[in-house]
Amino acid sequence: MFSVLSCGRLVARAVLGGLSQTDSRDYSLVTASCGFGKDARKGILKKGMCYGDDACFIARHRTADVLGVADGVGGWRDYGVDPSQFSETLMRTCERLVKEGRFVPTSPVGILTSSYCELLQNKVPLLGSSTACLVVLDRTSHRLHTANLGDSGFLVVRAGEVVHRSDEQQHYFNTPFQLSIAPPEAEGAVLSDSPDAADSSSFDVQLGDIILTATDGLFDNMPDYMILQELKKLKNANYESIQQTARSIAEQAHDLAYDPNYMSPFAQFACDYGLNVRGGKPDDITVLLSIVAEYTD
Amino acid sequence: MSFMPWFPMLTVLSMFYYICLRRRARLASRGEMINSRQAIESNSRALPMSTKAVQYAKEVLDFSSHYGSENSMSYTMWNLAGSPNVYPSSGDFTQTAVFRTYGNLWSNCSSTPAPFKRTSVNFFSQDYVELAFEEPVYPTAVHILETYHPGSVVKILACSANPYSQSAPAEIRWETIWSGEPTRVNSPQSRQFTPCLKEISFPTNLLRLETNSSLLDYYTELDAVELHGVKEKPVLFLKTAAIDMSDLDDDYDDKDSCELDSLTNQLSNTGIREWTNNGYFDKLPYELIQFIISHLALPDLCRLAQTCKLMYQHCCDPLQYTHLSLQPYWTNVNDNSLEYLLPRCSLVQWLNLSWTGNRGLISTSGFSRLLKVCGSELVRLELACGHFLNEACLEVIAEMCPNLQELNLSSCDKLPPQAFSHICKLSGLKRLVLYRTKIEQTALLSILNFCPEIQHLNLGSCVLIEDYDLVASVLGAKCKKLRSLDLWRCKNITERGIAELASGCLLLEELDLGWCPTLQSSTGCFVNLASKLPNLRKLFLTANRSVCDSDIEELARNCQHLQQLDILGTRMVSPAALCKLLECCKELFLLDVSFCSQIDSRVVQELVTRFPSVSIKKSFTQ
Repeated sequence: MFSVLSCGRLVARAVLGGLSQTDSRDYSLVTASCGFGKDARKGILKKGMCYGDDACFIARHRTADVLGVADGVGGWRDYGVDPSQFSETLMRTCERLVKEGRFVPTSPVGILTSSYCELLQNKVPLLGSSTACLVVLDRTSHRLHTANLGDSGFLVVRAGEVVHRSDEQQHYFNTPFQLSIAPPEAEGAVLSDSPDAADSSSFDVQLGDIILTATDGLFDNMPDYMILQELKKLKNANYESIQQTARSIAEQAHDLAYDPNYMSPFAQFACDYGLNVRGGKPDDITVLLSIVAEYTD
Repeated sequence: MSFMPWFPMLTVLSMFYYICLRRRARLASRGEMINSRQAIESNSRALPMSTKAVQYAKEVLDFSSHYGSENSMSYTMWNLAGSPNVYPSSGDFTQTAVFRTYGNLWSNCSSTPAPFKRTSVNFFSQDYVELAFEEPVYPTAVHILETYHPGSVVKILACSANPYSQSAPAEIRWETIWSGEPTRVNSPQSRQFTPCLKEISFPTNLLRLETNSSLLDYYTELDAVELHGVKEKPVLFLKTAAIDMSDLDDDYDDKDSCELDSLTNQLSNTGIREWTNNGYFDKLPYELIQFIISHLALPDLCRLAQTCKLMYQHCCDPLQYTHLSLQPYWTNVNDNSLEYLLPRCSLVQWLNLSWTGNRGLISTSGFSRLLKVCGSELVRLELACGHFLNEACLEVIAEMCPNLQELNLSSCDKLPPQAFSHICKLSGLKRLVLYRTKIEQTALLSILNFCPEIQHLNLGSCVLIEDYDLVASVLGAKCKKLRSLDLWRCKNITERGIAELASGCLLLEELDLGWCPTLQSSTGCFVNLASKLPNLRKLFLTANRSVCDSDIEELARNCQHLQQLDILGTRMVSPAALCKLLECCKELFLLDVSFCSQIDSRVVQELVTRFPSVSIKKSFTQ
């Protein structure tokens, strides 16, 4: 009896396995970026991929497409430290790790950890902190592996609906988890989370899935339904239309952020905490918009 | 008259030459300017028709030292692989390859051993890195992208063996394709270094760069190496550049020593005609001839041995071989050459086999035979980057060399951890270099327990040691004679270890605590060091972000003899504290304040004018 059952299971598994393996094509992400610095330098990338204190990267490797956003914590400006330096170096280092193949696609947390270690290996005494969100698409297994530390995040949209999303990590209201390097005298006084604290997840994607990765500047100002509305305008998977949509999302978020009467998700969230806040939340906004497409070399 | 038959042949040759020139001219006029320019750059030795390949290094196979950590990529040699990250920018960047040392300031240290007698005058190499490329080519040009303090490369060698081939090569030949003297480039700015190469008769995808940083003001940084070459053997050599005599000389030195040796061997066996009379040489005392020939380099000694029986006898005297450095001849030293040297080796005291024996040139048995002969007298043994070494070799060393005082195993990173357990039998050890080795804690602790004479210990980048505090406490308890200690990039020493060290090893003069991230100035560990060790001459606190004014002031108060101080990368040291230090420590000659945010270039300029005898380093990123 037992053997019949187990045989049946094997057969079923083989059939199912055979079915799911029909798609042997490699996938890739077509990604466009857009963003705004807080002080309205519209869409201008400072150096490399930086919007205000936000930084991002898009990197390709033989085995995977990797992208990431990081939001430098602005409070460091009071210490005479440029907050964008930390987030930018973090993203540049991630990019380099990916390009040189020093990563495992299944472990984006690993990329974050080694990138953070490299920051400590720099002769320049870096200071600052940053949230980070990394998204890795494994080309052959069609799986999306993600790591998220703090309040940046991503959405996976399929047929107009959000099918997968990141969880926000906060210590308390408006204080996200963050990677940081503190000056020795402030050690302990500064919030510092280990890269291992990042929330990781894996998700199977299909051709045509839309992945939106962004910093809190977007999610605090634009609720899901508005984002989905914008995404509906996206008709095909060529780079130009993605770029256009990314731009219109970022622009809309930027406009809302400076609308004093708009009840933004951030304001609603604040109300839940008993704070009387109205209007948008002026912040740096970074949007990476990607579509899962077939891999062409 | 005799040249007449050659005449038609010369005509034919010159016609061929002319045709080729025409062909090149036509190609160029067809618009293949790039092609012909490359041909000219590459010394016109290749026909422009042959397939050219330009490739960056695929992989870094081996190197002697690097600045970076073993489990990171910042400032490590591995950055030499792939396309450039920094070039054409200049500056001190993490993405480049950096060696461990620079300049000649460090050679003044008591921990730096004396040079070997009879070292070849054209051997300058201090460090090396070996690079593998995808495709074997006949090199036409090598571009070395140096992005910071250029000028360190002194030699480029090409290997006949393909590191990616499955089958083991029948013979391994290393050919020097360029060599030069160490240079001093006054500007730290980046440059592309494209030396004029000597052509070789085999395709290669394994290059070795050898460097000498002794004339440089700071660490040199290399970004990438680009190899240009042709896939087919170049047919025509239109060599336009003058022949470089020094190149030839070098080559002679490198290549011929072994062949000469074997020749000498043959001559001695066949028996030379008996001469009882050596002319005026008979009037010279034996010692005088010995003294004269003691100034010869090793290959010259071998050549001299071939001149006559008297000289042969002199050149074979074991007294001539008390210092034997085979490092300059690493390309050719193999079991046979060791075998040949055996009868002359009975009195060797200093033996340098660094860099030798790799890729199977020296076998365990060859090495053991040598040590059986010379081991009893051996005092100093240099085996840096000796990848032929295995546990058996170390066992032989421990057994055969009871008088050994100095052992250098630097960068023997392929030596398995258990091999190091034999070192503790060498109870007379005074200097031990274990930089970049896989020594484990138990082996190290037994060495410290059984070798109380240790004066100089280098444990830089030993990644397998688990508890450095324990090591430091055993050092403090057992090694009272310790004078220099290198703990560069040790991962977990804390103030407890430092306290044990400072109270136990009172003779300590040199201490390298660079990149030890677990030391916090707030625990008082640096103040403790400075107050307990008044003899400190060299202190490296590289990249310790917590070093502050009170540490510097304590150093100024207590360590009058301080000569070298590195406090790179702290935000907490002020110009006032540095001024005090410079006023108090009159012997100071090296002060590295790179990336100290309070010390800007204006402050450095002021300090330099006030204290001209001190070399104050301030590195930059652009």
